[in-house]
Amino acid sequence: MELTPPQLDLIEASNDQKIFLEGPAGAGKTTAGVERMLYLMAQGARADTILVFLPQRNLAQPYYQALRNPGLVAGGTVDVLTLGGLAQKMVQLFWPLVSEQAGFAHPDQAPTFLNLETAQYFMARVVEPMIEGGAFDTVTIDRNRLYSQVVDNLNKAAVVGFPHTELEQRLRGAWIGEISQAHLYADAQQAALRFREFCLEQNLLDFSLRVEVFLKHIWSVPVCRDYLSKTYNHLIYDNVEEDTPVSHDLMAEWLPQLESATLIYDWDGGYRIFLGADPASGYRLKDHCQEEVTFNHSFVTTPEIQEFTAGLEISFNLAEDRLDSPFVSPSQPIVEDPASKPAVGDVRSVLEFETHRFHPQMLDWVVERASYLVEDEGIPPEEIVILAPYMSDSLRYSLSERFDRSGIATQSHRPSRALKDEPAAQCLLTLAAVAHPEWGITPVSYELAYALVQAVDGLDLVRGQLLAEIVYRSKDGRPTLTSFDRINPDMQERITYQLGERYENLRLWLDSYSLNPVDELDHFLSRLFGEVLSQPGYGFHHSRDAGQVTANLIDSARRFRWILAESLTDGSGKDYVQLVQQGVVAAQYIRRWNEPSEGAVFLAPAYTFLMGNRPVEVQFWLDVGGQGWAERLYQPLTQPYVLSRHWPPGTPWTDSEEFASSQEALYRLSTGLIRRCRYKIYLGLSDLGEGGYEMKGPFLRAIQRVLQNYPADAPGTQVETH
Amino acid sequence: MFIPRPKQEQILAYRGGKMGVSAVPGSGKTQILSMLAAQIIADGLLEDEQEVLVVTLVNAAVDNFSVRVGNLVKEKGLLPNLGYRVRTLHGLAHDIVRERPDLLGLSENFQIIDEREVDKIRREAASAWLKAHPYALDDYLDSTLEQSKLDWVRRDHLPARVSDVALAFIRLAKDKQLSSEEIRARLEQLPVPLPLAQMGCEIYQSYQQALVYRGALDFDDLIRLAIQAIRLDESYLERLRYRWPYILEDEAQDSSQLQEQILEKLAEPNGNWVRVGDPNQAIFETFTTASPESLRQFLDSPEVDDLDMPNSGRSTSSIIDLANYLIEWTQEEHPREEVRQALVPPPIEVTPPGDPQPNPPDDPQAIHLVEQKMTPQGEMEYVVESIADWLPSHPDNTVAVLVPRNQRGFDLAKALGARGLEYSDSLLRSTAETRGAAGALANILNYLAEPGSSRMLSIAYNVWRREAWEVEENKALLEVVKRMINKCRQVEDYLWPRAGNDWFASLNIQEDQDWVSGELQEFRQVVRRWQGATTLPIDQLVLSLAQDLFHEPPDLAIAHKLALLLRQAGETNSDWHLPDFTEELAVIAKNERRFLGFSDDDTGFDPEAHKGQVVISTMHKAKGLEWDRVYLMSVNTYNFPSGRLQDRYIAEAWFLRDHLNLEAETIKQLEVALSSGDYDWYEEGQASKKARLDYVAERLRLLYVGITRAKKELFITRNTGRDGKLQPAESFQALIGFWEDRLSDLGGGSA
Repeated sequence: MELTPPQLDLIEASNDQKIFLEGPAGAGKTTAGVERMLYLMAQGARADTILVFLPQRNLAQPYYQALRNPGLVAGGTVDVLTLGGLAQKMVQLFWPLVSEQAGFAHPDQAPTFLNLETAQYFMARVVEPMIEGGAFDTVTIDRNRLYSQVVDNLNKAAVVGFPHTELEQRLRGAWIGEISQAHLYADAQQAALRFREFCLEQNLLDFSLRVEVFLKHIWSVPVCRDYLSKTYNHLIYDNVEEDTPVSHDLMAEWLPQLESATLIYDWDGGYRIFLGADPASGYRLKDHCQEEVTFNHSFVTTPEIQEFTAGLEISFNLAEDRLDSPFVSPSQPIVEDPASKPAVGDVRSVLEFETHRFHPQMLDWVVERASYLVEDEGIPPEEIVILAPYMSDSLRYSLSERFDRSGIATQSHRPSRALKDEPAAQCLLTLAAVAHPEWGITPVSYELAYALVQAVDGLDLVRGQLLAEIVYRSKDGRPTLTSFDRINPDMQERITYQLGERYENLRLWLDSYSLNPVDELDHFLSRLFGEVLSQPGYGFHHSRDAGQVTANLIDSARRFRWILAESLTDGSGKDYVQLVQQGVVAAQYIRRWNEPSEGAVFLAPAYTFLMGNRPVEVQFWLDVGGQGWAERLYQPLTQPYVLSRHWPPGTPWTDSEEFASSQEALYRLSTGLIRRCRYKIYLGLSDLGEGGYEMKGPFLRAIQRVLQNYPADAPGTQVETH
Repeated sequence: MFIPRPKQEQILAYRGGKMGVSAVPGSGKTQILSMLAAQIIADGLLEDEQEVLVVTLVNAAVDNFSVRVGNLVKEKGLLPNLGYRVRTLHGLAHDIVRERPDLLGLSENFQIIDEREVDKIRREAASAWLKAHPYALDDYLDSTLEQSKLDWVRRDHLPARVSDVALAFIRLAKDKQLSSEEIRARLEQLPVPLPLAQMGCEIYQSYQQALVYRGALDFDDLIRLAIQAIRLDESYLERLRYRWPYILEDEAQDSSQLQEQILEKLAEPNGNWVRVGDPNQAIFETFTTASPESLRQFLDSPEVDDLDMPNSGRSTSSIIDLANYLIEWTQEEHPREEVRQALVPPPIEVTPPGDPQPNPPDDPQAIHLVEQKMTPQGEMEYVVESIADWLPSHPDNTVAVLVPRNQRGFDLAKALGARGLEYSDSLLRSTAETRGAAGALANILNYLAEPGSSRMLSIAYNVWRREAWEVEENKALLEVVKRMINKCRQVEDYLWPRAGNDWFASLNIQEDQDWVSGELQEFRQVVRRWQGATTLPIDQLVLSLAQDLFHEPPDLAIAHKLALLLRQAGETNSDWHLPDFTEELAVIAKNERRFLGFSDDDTGFDPEAHKGQVVISTMHKAKGLEWDRVYLMSVNTYNFPSGRLQDRYIAEAWFLRDHLNLEAETIKQLEVALSSGDYDWYEEGQASKKARLDYVAERLRLLYVGITRAKKELFITRNTGRDGKLQPAESFQALIGFWEDRLSDLGGGSA
């Protein structure tokens, strides 16, 4: 790609420059950031003196891609880190120095870093006794969400930078709703305190503790700070607007000590507000840079699409008021050359829509239009994204199944199913329960039948169920399988001797294993897979998918075991199996699904797509009339706005704020999407949504207002009502 | 093209303020309210974000309104779907809560538990209470009952009765926005114990705990929370007020206190609130806070513009006279003074000459008040025969039989079917289509839970081919295939045959039965696919099955919705397997109160779409509808008592002493507990007596509603009940007397 003169100016700036680069999405800022990194290296900066700092790992893609280029100058590797990653690295390094001071009970023993799943697991251990004692009695959410909200509260305190002991006070101070709700905040506070105590006691570091230890106990120690200053001379900090206030604080202090820095800031960003992102706080960093550069020419969008953005801005009536909102990422109007302003009416040429009564009709239309684009207009499938505010599993399945029938591959933001929903994983876990009768987990006959159908190649559901009914018993809470040889010959014949033999071999394997079991579930799974299921005559032999699921399961079980082993807590394969069944361990491996795969239409929630920061040719927006586009995830135990730095403690959060922030978020979301679209946007409209509710949400009305300003007879538009 | 008459024009001239309209049956109020909504939109009285809010009583009316307003808006050259919102109270409450669940401590995916599940929870709570207090209600039982009977009553009758009591109690408590703790606190302060209220309170508490445990709300919570939301956050209320500057309320006579409170709050301070109703058609009052009285008060208040729609072009003048006489008789001659206000003037007026919506030509002979003594069976036969005589020669007419209770309707459906008459009983059922789609899916899931059962497999075949069954000539062949499958001893030999053991090959199907053979092969493929999908998560399984089972968009939409619901259910119950999901489907299929737009019921029942068919409905469900010919059945002293000593009441169980109405007594105890007045005390039996009179009054209005459903012809019949002792209802007798006089004045004929 050819770089523009402003990009070149930035990239080739002298290597003692601190530059703040800002502009709308699609203006080529990240490209410049990547090139700047390469330029520094070409100019002789050692790779390991460069730090690429990002708010979220999946934004690292363009940097990694450039670094994989074999032609690069040697000299170590460039560190690409998030705040959490940097914190973990530093805690590991300086643990002996700070562990005691930070309050850990066993400063001489190594720390254990928790991921989200294991943090939730331990949170469950802390919170469950509280629930049994009557805490959280009026909250109407399921347990997993409850745990994750308490974890989330701790994380918010850490990234916003207030003591986690103030959570209740802050949340309560803004609360004007039902009074009985307020005591939930006290319960949530209790849970947070106990969890933190538990972590200190067990040398466990969840994300929040990692960040707090790093910022409070490491960054403040001159020797540690020196270490960082000496390690990194150059900083590329992309998507500053999506990062959290403590990251910004850190950078504000660190910047003077760096040789060069390139900070990249997206206007109208802030999609991670729910995770603590604070665009306004990030904008402060501009004052710490000598050089201020603005890119405001879009490489992505056409003038028509820009016109659509402008129309939406007017439609949301944000032009004047929005600068007052504390949650808005500061931006400047995109300076446009009046001569290039497109003619009125062009907005309709980038929009196509059709109204349907029912939701599935709309899905049919979406797939039909997308197929047309692929087959008749030659648009590559990976250039098409299908976006909805939420992507329910049913919706995802409906879409991918329809695309399948049209012969078009799809790719989703996450694997099509959580581990517990994978038949192959279910099969493995059921067999694990049978092989470990001492666990006392007794699968029901259905589960065993399904496991056998999966495991034994050629076994159909009818015979599988028959077989399970005959051979499977549970005695005193211990599952047992009887031998095929011992069943009635008529039945043997019905099931067939060939299938019977395969079953028998599996049974014998499980039997002999259980006489001499290994401690580790992942080892068991590997052996079961390797020695039986992947062999000819067994169900995983031909299935690559099942192999992949097995690998994921083994991986997840292994990590779980490691973390438990590192920490001083007990936990067994049985615990893991139960956690998967309860859905606590979802083990949805995102890394495989991260990169756009060639030839597949991408299905994702709108925010996920935005955070991938990847422009495409065509976007489909589903359920435009739905409330989901404008509303945040309501979490009874936490509140992202109230816990932000902008919310004065004690000020009630009322509907005016709620409404303004949702309008703002909707505007930001829609413009973010539009700026990542090159060619066309299709609006999927149905009177009744997925759940049967009428759809007249704010997004629909906003678009309607834009359309009202343009004559309807423009080409390329279809309006049809069924 | 609808042309409004002058009285209707007056209403259409409305542009602001409070207005009350009392409208007689058939006066065209739905049409006028729709026109008014469309006019407000077309006149540009609304800003971009604003909507006219139309609130009505039942789902059936929602779509009816939406379609009408939508069409009228379109006629005016504007985009439909925007500028108005039509909701039932529950739908409105759902909107309000759904927009700000955080305010009430809910997450955005909070669940509303359906009626059936609610029933189950309440029954369990009631049973648990009875188990803990097995003899607590003995004092209320008839002391003459023998021990063996007593045990039977305790075991088989009391749980249901107590559950009904709990229903009334919980509903009223929620209507009054009271928690069980608050009620308990009140009860504890009382000098004398109120055992029934105590019982209600305890069941209420465990019921509510069960809801919280499920993380769910019931429909009554929804309304309670909606009003709480707008009370808690003034700025939210402000925004809603801005959004809905005009509120048009239909069927205002049936509004509960909470509904009034919500609408009143939304309408303040400018108060653009139009309430249309007919106190004479208030038929949903029992044990609710609704009362026709409050609409009358609204109409009388000084700041309200009080208009009326006295003209009705629906019925012949004879039918109108009959309905008016019922008002007159009630007012002047009803044996119980206390219920004489159950029906009030003004009477219905026929349309003036030249009216754009004139009455059908009169025919006094088309009124048949059948006093004849008949058994319940005999009455049914009479009606069936009468229809059989008439229907074939009137294929373009509409006819309905209105019964007091569902069961009577189902019995009648059987009788009509046996006589070869086509009928529609969809008004008796919850929602025909949900039942259809959910039922079809449930059958397939049932089979998949027992994949080796040939009987289940044959049922699955039936379901898979259910459209083909509709065509008469297919039936024989389908039956052949179905029977073959049913007889297959080892299902695996059909579906997954092994070498040398192929059931299908062994059938030796003859060449002229190509169709049968093709059918068996095709079905085998389909079932193999279903079996392959069995290990999928439940939502994906349902969606996969739906692809094979349904073609119509509404069915597919229902399947999608069911998939979502089952998925949610599965997430809260991680140990569920196919049979549990099948059971859950049955629950959903029977769910009675919904506000989703999927069912036939919700898209509005159109009598005109059932010409040549007999529509069977309860009198309650028939409200708002009209037919050329209407039969009102079972108009006897049991269904329409008049408050005489010898009358019997459905709410007074035979096993209770002193004709006590347990619900009424419990509610009264609750009211007394909550009352701060010194003169409000509890005296046993008074509430039961009062409940009788309320019931008498409501049944009079129900009869009035029934009569006014008829456009041209009306039949009223009665039966003597199971024991042969029931008399024609006194109101019915009065009508007969009146009509005999009328006919003899006209010179000849008899009723």
